[in-house]
Amino acid sequence: MEKLFNFQDFKYAIRDLIRSYKKISTIIFTLFISLFVLSVILSLEYSLKKELNANAKVLLGGDFEINTRNEKVDDQYLKKIEKFGTISSTVEFSTMLTNSTKSDAKTFFIRLKAIDQKYPLYGSVQSFPDNALTLLQTTKNSIVVNRKIFETLKIKVNDTVYIKQTPFRVVGYVESVPDLGRALLFGDFAVVSTNSFLNLNINTLGSFINYEYRVKLNNENINFKQELENLTKNYPSYSVRYPENSSNNLKKLIDNFSQFLSLVSISAMLIAGIGIANTLISFINQKNISIAIMKSLGFTTSTIKKIFYFEIFTLLTIISLLAYLFAILSVPIVNAYLVKTLGITVQSEFILKNFIKVFLSGFLVVSIFCLPTISAIQQIKPTSLFRNVFQPCEFYFTKKNISLIILAIISLILLFAFDSKKPFYTVMYFLVFFIICLTLYGLSKLIIFYLRKINFIKFLPLRLAVKNITNPKTIFPITVLSLGLGVTLLLSLTLIGYNFKKEVQKSIPEIAPDYFFVSIQNLEKDEFVKYLKSNDKNAVIETMPIVSASLIKINKKDPLTYIKQNNDSFWVLERDRRISWSKTAPKDNPIIEGSWFDENNKSFQISLDAKVAKDLNIKINDSLTLKIYGREIEGKVINLRKVDYRDLSINFVMLINPSFAQNIPHEYIATAKFKNLPDFKEGVFLQKFKNISTIKVSNYLGKVTEIINKIFIAVIIISSIAVIIGLMVISSAVIVQARLSVYQNLIFKILGINSKNLMLASIIEFLITFLSIIFIAAFFSVFVSYFVIETIFRLSWSLEIINSSVVLLFIGIITIILILINNYKFLSPKAYPLVRNE
Amino acid sequence: MKSLLELQDIYLNYKTENSLVEVIKGVNLKINSGENVAVVGKSGSGKTSLIMLIAGLEKATSGKIIFEDQDISAYSEDELADLRKKKIGIVFQSFYLIPNYTALENVSLVLEINKIENTQKKSAELLEQFGLKDRLNHFPSQLSGGEQQRVAIARSIILSPKLILADEPSGNLDSENSKLIINLLFKYSKQNNSSLILVTHDQSIAKECDKIIEIKDGKII
Repeated sequence: MEKLFNFQDFKYAIRDLIRSYKKISTIIFTLFISLFVLSVILSLEYSLKKELNANAKVLLGGDFEINTRNEKVDDQYLKKIEKFGTISSTVEFSTMLTNSTKSDAKTFFIRLKAIDQKYPLYGSVQSFPDNALTLLQTTKNSIVVNRKIFETLKIKVNDTVYIKQTPFRVVGYVESVPDLGRALLFGDFAVVSTNSFLNLNINTLGSFINYEYRVKLNNENINFKQELENLTKNYPSYSVRYPENSSNNLKKLIDNFSQFLSLVSISAMLIAGIGIANTLISFINQKNISIAIMKSLGFTTSTIKKIFYFEIFTLLTIISLLAYLFAILSVPIVNAYLVKTLGITVQSEFILKNFIKVFLSGFLVVSIFCLPTISAIQQIKPTSLFRNVFQPCEFYFTKKNISLIILAIISLILLFAFDSKKPFYTVMYFLVFFIICLTLYGLSKLIIFYLRKINFIKFLPLRLAVKNITNPKTIFPITVLSLGLGVTLLLSLTLIGYNFKKEVQKSIPEIAPDYFFVSIQNLEKDEFVKYLKSNDKNAVIETMPIVSASLIKINKKDPLTYIKQNNDSFWVLERDRRISWSKTAPKDNPIIEGSWFDENNKSFQISLDAKVAKDLNIKINDSLTLKIYGREIEGKVINLRKVDYRDLSINFVMLINPSFAQNIPHEYIATAKFKNLPDFKEGVFLQKFKNISTIKVSNYLGKVTEIINKIFIAVIIISSIAVIIGLMVISSAVIVQARLSVYQNLIFKILGINSKNLMLASIIEFLITFLSIIFIAAFFSVFVSYFVIETIFRLSWSLEIINSSVVLLFIGIITIILILINNYKFLSPKAYPLVRNE
Repeated sequence: MKSLLELQDIYLNYKTENSLVEVIKGVNLKINSGENVAVVGKSGSGKTSLIMLIAGLEKATSGKIIFEDQDISAYSEDELADLRKKKIGIVFQSFYLIPNYTALENVSLVLEINKIENTQKKSAELLEQFGLKDRLNHFPSQLSGGEQQRVAIARSIILSPKLILADEPSGNLDSENSKLIINLLFKYSKQNNSSLILVTHDQSIAKECDKIIEIKDGKII
C-alpha cells in the first residue's frame, strides 16, 4: 500500500510548483486576496475586543459602577459602598453650550460631565494643557470642552462659554476621556467640576441626567459581588455594571460589522474557488502530456494526484501564512483611525486560533474545488501518447469525491457558523449561495437541452457557437456558473453600495423637523409655542409630554433574569426610557395589533413598539410593570404599533393612556418645522428659554452621515476586493474556453473557416451565456442586497435600475474584450508547434 | 534462449456507439530475452495497439499475456504500472519528454521512482555516453529532435529493462539522426540483454532485427 506522504513525491511537487507557478498565478492571486481579507477581519475583530476587554476597567471607569439614574445616591447606601474602595462620582446630562449671550451666539448641544477630584480612577484624560483637569478643580466655574467645540468656536484658553446663561471659563480642551460615556461616538461633550455643576439649575428630566458612582477596590482580590448585589437589592432603581459590560454596544457593532465582512470574504473565497477550479483544470490540460508520460513510466494515478495535491496545499500553506502576516501588519494602519474615532489603540498580534481559521477556510474551499479537478487526472490515458490525440479533461466526480466535497462544505459552514453571533444568518447565507450555484447549473443544462433540439442553423458563426455549447465535452455549465456568480456578486455589491450611498447622501426628508426641543417645563410650554409661532407663523410645531419610566417587570417577572444582552431590544430594559401619552394614535405609528386607548378606561394601559414586543415576547394583554417616580405601576398592553425611528419625528417605545397619565408631573419635548428657517435665532431663543435644549436636526444627521460614510468606505474597500476576484473568475472561465479551442481552431483554419467567423462564434457563445444568466443574477442580487441592507445594516433598501444596468453592460463589455483578446491569441495558433505537440 | 514474453490468442476489441471494432484478432507471439523484433504493417493494421497491449497500457479483450512466466493479463492498473516502472522502457515517435524537466531530470526520474541511489550521477554518465554532456540542464524545447530522442532512449534504457518498446522512434527525424537513434537502440539493448520490439515502416531497419513480424488487419501474417 502506498504511503500517504512520500518525500520524493513532495520533491516533484515543489519542483513543478517552482517551474509552473506563472501558469497558476490566478490561483495564487485570488487565494491570497480572499485569505488576506478574512485575515484582516479576524485580526481586527480580535484586537478590538481584546483591547476593550483588557481596558474594561478603564472603559468603565472603575472596578464597578453604580448608576442611580436621575437621582443622587442614598447616603446610607453610599456609606456602605465606601468600605469597598475609593468612590468617584460623576453626573452627566444634556444641555446647550453657547459662545456668548448675544442673539447671534453659536450653540452646541452637548453632554456635560461633572467630575469630582478623584476622577478618573483608571486611565487618564488626554487634554490640553496637560493639567486642564487640575485647573478644573481649582478654578471656579471653569470648563474643559472637547476639541471639536474648541476648534469650531475658535476658542482660546481663558475664553468664556455659557451653559444655561452661566459663564464658564475655558481652561483647556479634551482629546479623549478613558471611560466610554453615553454619548460615545456621537457627542460633543464638556467637563466641569462637581462644584461648578451645583451652580447650574438642572431639571432632572429633560436634561437626561444620570448619576454614576464608580469604585476602585481597595483590594482587588476581595469577593465583593455577592455583598454588593445584596446591598443593591434594596434599591431596585439602582443598576450595577461591571467591566465586562462596559462596552456591550460597541462589541455588538463590531460583531455585526465583522459578520457582514466575513460573509463578503467567504463569498470572495467561494467564487475564487471556482476560479481555482477553472485555472487548475486548464493547468492539468496543459500538463496532459506530462501526466501521460509519467503514467507510461510507471507512476500510478494516485501518485500523480498526490503530487498535485502537494502542490496546491503547499501553495495554500504559504499563501495563508503570507496573507495572515500581511493582515497583522495592516492593523497599525487601521489603528490610526480607531484612535481618533474610539480613543482606543489596538496591537498587532499573531493569534494561532485566527491563523488556523484562515488556513482551514482556505483548505476547505480549495478541497471542495480541487477534488473533482485533480481527479480529472484519471481521464488522462498514456495511450494518448501513441495516438497523438489528447482529450481535454473535465471535472470528475466519484462517490468518494462527492462525499468528501459534502463533508468539506459542511465543515466550512460549521467553521463560520460556530464562531458567529448570528449562526442562523451564516447558515442561511451559505444555503442561498449553493441555491444560486444549483440554479445556474440547472439553467446551463436546460439551455443545452433546448439548443440540442435545434436541427439546422444556416448562419455559420451561430452554428459553431451552438455546437460548442452542446458538444458532450462542453464547459458551458462551468462558464455559466462562473459568469453567473461573478455577475450576481457584482450586481449585489452595486445595489448594496448604491443603498449605502443613498443613505449617506440622503437629504433630510421633507417632513422631518428642523429642531428638536427638550426640557420644556409644563408652565412654559404655551409660551414656548407662542414664541415659535411669533418667529414663523407657518411653523409646524408638535409637542408631547414626557416622563421617565423604567420597565422592571414583564408579566410580573424581572426581564433581566431571562432576556439576554444580545437581544435586539435589550436597550429598552437597560435604563430609564422616556414615555408619553396621546389621545389619538400617532399618524406615523400605525397600530398593527389591538386597539387604541379607551378614554373612559382609567386603568393603566400601554401601547408598545411591535418589534420590541416581538423581541421581548410580549403579547396583547400581557402585563408590564413600570417604575415612575419611584412607584411601581402595573399596566396592560392593549396595542402594538409599528415604529420607525428613522423618520425623525417624535417616537416612543411606550405610550400610555392619557386618562391615567394626566396627573403625573411631566415635561415636554417638541419638534418644529419652519417655513423660513433663518428667522429662528438659536441665540435669542436661548436667552429667553434658558432651560430648553435645542437640537438642530441637520447637525445630528451630519454626525450620523459621517459615521455611515466611514462604514461605507470600509465596506466598499472590502467589497471591491470581492469585485476584483469576481472579474478574475470570469476571466479564468474565458481563458479556459479559449485554450480548449486551440486545436479546434487549428483544424478550422486548415479547413478554411476564417478568423472573423470564429471570433463571431465566440461572441455569440458568450452572448447566449450572458443573456441567459442576467435574469437569474438580477433576481438573486436583489434578494441578497435587500437582506444585507435591511436586516444587517437596518437601512432602507430601494431598487436601482440605471446603475445596475450600467454594471451589467460594463461586465458584458469587459468580458467580450477578454474573449476577443484571448481568442485572438489562440485563434491563430502556429500550426507547426501544435503538430509537433509543443 | 529463454522466453521473455508470450502472447496467447490475444484479442482486442473497441466498442463504439454503433459497432464493435476488432483491432487485434487472435495474435500469438513469442519473444525471447535479448531478441530484437521488428513489427511492420500498414497504417491501421494494429501495430500500435499490439505495442500498447504489451506495455500494459491496454487490456486485452481476451487471451493471455505472459511476461517472465507471469500472466499479466489479470494484473491491476497499479501492478501494470509497477511492471512498466521496473521492466519495460518505451520510446515514442514524438519523444514525449516532460517539458518542464531538464534532460538530466527526465532520465533520472526513472531511477528515482525505482528508489535507486545516485540518480543524477548515473543519468549524467549515460547522457554523456549519448553525446549529451553539454545538454544535461537543457529543457526539451532547447534540444533538437535528435537530441530529444536520445534523451528519450536514455530514459528508456537507464534501468536496463527487460523489454524496450520503440514506436517508430526515428519517424520524426532526418536520416542521419535516424541512423544514430537506431544504432543506439540496438547497441544498448544488446549490452543490457534487453529484448527490443521496434515498430517501423523502414524496411532497412526491420532487416537489422532478429525477427520481423508483419501485422495485417489485426493478425500476424
